[in-house]
Amino acid sequence: MGDAWRLIYNPEGDAADVVSYAASVAEGRIAGKYQLSNTSVPNTVIVQRAQQPGIVIGADITPDREAARAQGIQVAQAPRLGRNSAKAIGTLSLSNLMAKASRSFTAIETEPDETAVLIYTSGTTGNPKGAMITHRNFDFQCNTIVKSLVPYGPNDRFVCVLPMYHIYGLANALMPAITFGNCGVLVSQYSPQKLLDAIAENNATIMPAVPTMYFHLLTLARARKTSIPKSLRFCVSGGAALPLSVLQRFAKVYDTKIIEGYGLTETTSSVCANGLRGVFKDGSIGPVAEGVEMKVIDPDGNDLPDGDEGELVVKSQTVFAGYWQDPQASAEAISADGWFHTGDLGYRDEDGFFFITDRKKDIIITRGFNISPREVEEVFMQHAKVEEAALVAVKNERDGEAITAFIVGSSDGTPTIDELREHAKLNLAEYKWPKEYRFVDTLPKSATGKVLRAELRGDAEDRRLIQKEN
Amino acid sequence: MALFSRTKESIDVPIGLGKMLEATAAAYKKREALRFDGKVFSYQELNEQANRVAGGLQSLGVAKGDRVAMMLPNIPEFVYSLFGIQKLGAIAVPFNTMYKGREITHILQDSGAKAIICLSNFANLINEVRYDCPDLEHVIVTGQRTFVYVDPDATVNVQMVSEKSTFESADAAFHAVGGALVQVFKAFGVHDAWYKHQGAIRSSGHKLAIILMSEIENLYVVNVVTYLQQMDTGPLFKVLYVPPEIRDKALEPMTSIAKETGATVSLDQFKDKLVEVLGKNLGVQFSEGELTRDELMAYEKNRALANRI
Repeated sequence: MGDAWRLIYNPEGDAADVVSYAASVAEGRIAGKYQLSNTSVPNTVIVQRAQQPGIVIGADITPDREAARAQGIQVAQAPRLGRNSAKAIGTLSLSNLMAKASRSFTAIETEPDETAVLIYTSGTTGNPKGAMITHRNFDFQCNTIVKSLVPYGPNDRFVCVLPMYHIYGLANALMPAITFGNCGVLVSQYSPQKLLDAIAENNATIMPAVPTMYFHLLTLARARKTSIPKSLRFCVSGGAALPLSVLQRFAKVYDTKIIEGYGLTETTSSVCANGLRGVFKDGSIGPVAEGVEMKVIDPDGNDLPDGDEGELVVKSQTVFAGYWQDPQASAEAISADGWFHTGDLGYRDEDGFFFITDRKKDIIITRGFNISPREVEEVFMQHAKVEEAALVAVKNERDGEAITAFIVGSSDGTPTIDELREHAKLNLAEYKWPKEYRFVDTLPKSATGKVLRAELRGDAEDRRLIQKEN
Repeated sequence: MALFSRTKESIDVPIGLGKMLEATAAAYKKREALRFDGKVFSYQELNEQANRVAGGLQSLGVAKGDRVAMMLPNIPEFVYSLFGIQKLGAIAVPFNTMYKGREITHILQDSGAKAIICLSNFANLINEVRYDCPDLEHVIVTGQRTFVYVDPDATVNVQMVSEKSTFESADAAFHAVGGALVQVFKAFGVHDAWYKHQGAIRSSGHKLAIILMSEIENLYVVNVVTYLQQMDTGPLFKVLYVPPEIRDKALEPMTSIAKETGATVSLDQFKDKLVEVLGKNLGVQFSEGELTRDELMAYEKNRALANRI
């Protein structure tokens, strides 16, 4: 009955067999189609197992061969795919698409205030919103702000190690490099050593990075005193606060200058910088950059004098055009006269330096990424054993703010920490996973039922109360 | 690097990212624009590659104002794509490469992206949510950065090479293999094994098998990795570097028959069951065989290539 199929059973294979068997059967069949061979081969199913641990990697991955040998891991590399090789069904290949297109194309005209890029960023409520960044926003960020912050010259090479899907890497590394006719050194996979190698091999001169990377580079420098590249002329830290002492240590060890920028997705990255014109104040985000206005207002929108705490608002040609298809959220974020409400609370001192003291909006910022507590809480509340969840940020020198989740168990019982971690892994990007979990009977709430996060944060910062886990 | 002129000062550029690159490319020509992985790309090259992306997207019907999502790390294709999209006057929607299905779905739905350009590794992830994103017409993949771990105790690789004419469609070929595997998992006690569209078979939300469907000329090639037992991924991270803050988190959680059922299934048992179910479902007769002489020649060549590093 039925057609005859072939089974190839290879219980003692290896990683190279995983690549080779199916490819060889396919090649044989294709040759058959062109009658280069007269043997007819039936449809085939191959079942195989490797006798030794191994990795099958794509042609663009560079493994650590020494580590592979030391670990007894066989590495097999899949062939580089060309125009005629197998392609995943339901997808198009970018290289094929590009090969078929002309190398000439005249850019279509755009208006300066049209949206160029949508960057999704988490606000206080639910899902991320698309911040509309216009052509003018990028132009002003590069040609006015970055120009005033970074003393670049025609021979500079910018390190693009920050992810370029994030506003910081996009607007402060890639775009200035291309706007100024400089070179962008792309680092696709961050590791401290890879970053160090990229700097050294390319004699990179300008680096925007986040505090974690500066900590890592300092640790590497301590471990190997001799091979520290000295090509960096200028660095920018951002995304989270970097203690002034670390900043100064980095500048000394790497023989460079470093400033600390402050900005948001909605301001197309930098609007302020501590260290601008060589002046630092500990704990400050600095004075405003060229072309930017920033002031402090009270809840009624009145300007506050120096020293008084209120919300920081920004006016600049880098202020975004609003949230994609969300006029209400846009109107809340940008006032009618063009001031963007940062949600950060702080004050300005008599020298024009700004300081951030707290945040008005419930946003957690870790490693430069915004996290909406609401979004994460909603994910946890989908778990059968979770009645209520509340997320708060606890200050952490390295990451900015670390997340603690307060969990109220449901009538189905209380989940274990492992269950919660698994649930987070399945549903959320890694940077949104809580670092710590605390189980409580109830959440403190206001008369209107709003969770009082400040109260929870107070509890979480009292280290004795935290249920630590590794 | 003497090839690259590095003396010209920077110029005033127009406001508009597409026109801006045109202007810098015209001014700087052979000056270096990007460096990546030991290679150097000039302004002229970058501009031409962006032009090719723009032309390619245009041929797919992408027009001014359309959204094109990007799920790419910092590789040259990110830059080509970004500027290609800009040259079309379209809107780029780059997003975090760490995002999972739910997060990706939200962005694709909310932005109404017509196309996505992503790393080939993410094709499965996008294919799984594709039917929830009705505006998404094209999935464009780049880069060859996939990695699959094989392990004597934990993994089994199943591959099917079949004439396209055997099945009505690629979906039918996928369902033949996916459906048979689900039956096999259920037979071994994993009762909640399921799959949604193309991609992975899951149990309690975790991946139990990864399925990659490809086509070449007149053939479908289906590649499956499935897990009989849990696997120690520790050594993997020594060979492929993963930053400390996402170590043990880089791989999407997976499960195995052993973890779901507590039972150990041998390779023989698995193979026998799979062949039984597949044979029955497809109405075909399996007989065990070896590679033919022609295939063996191709096999030796392919092995040499696979071991080239």
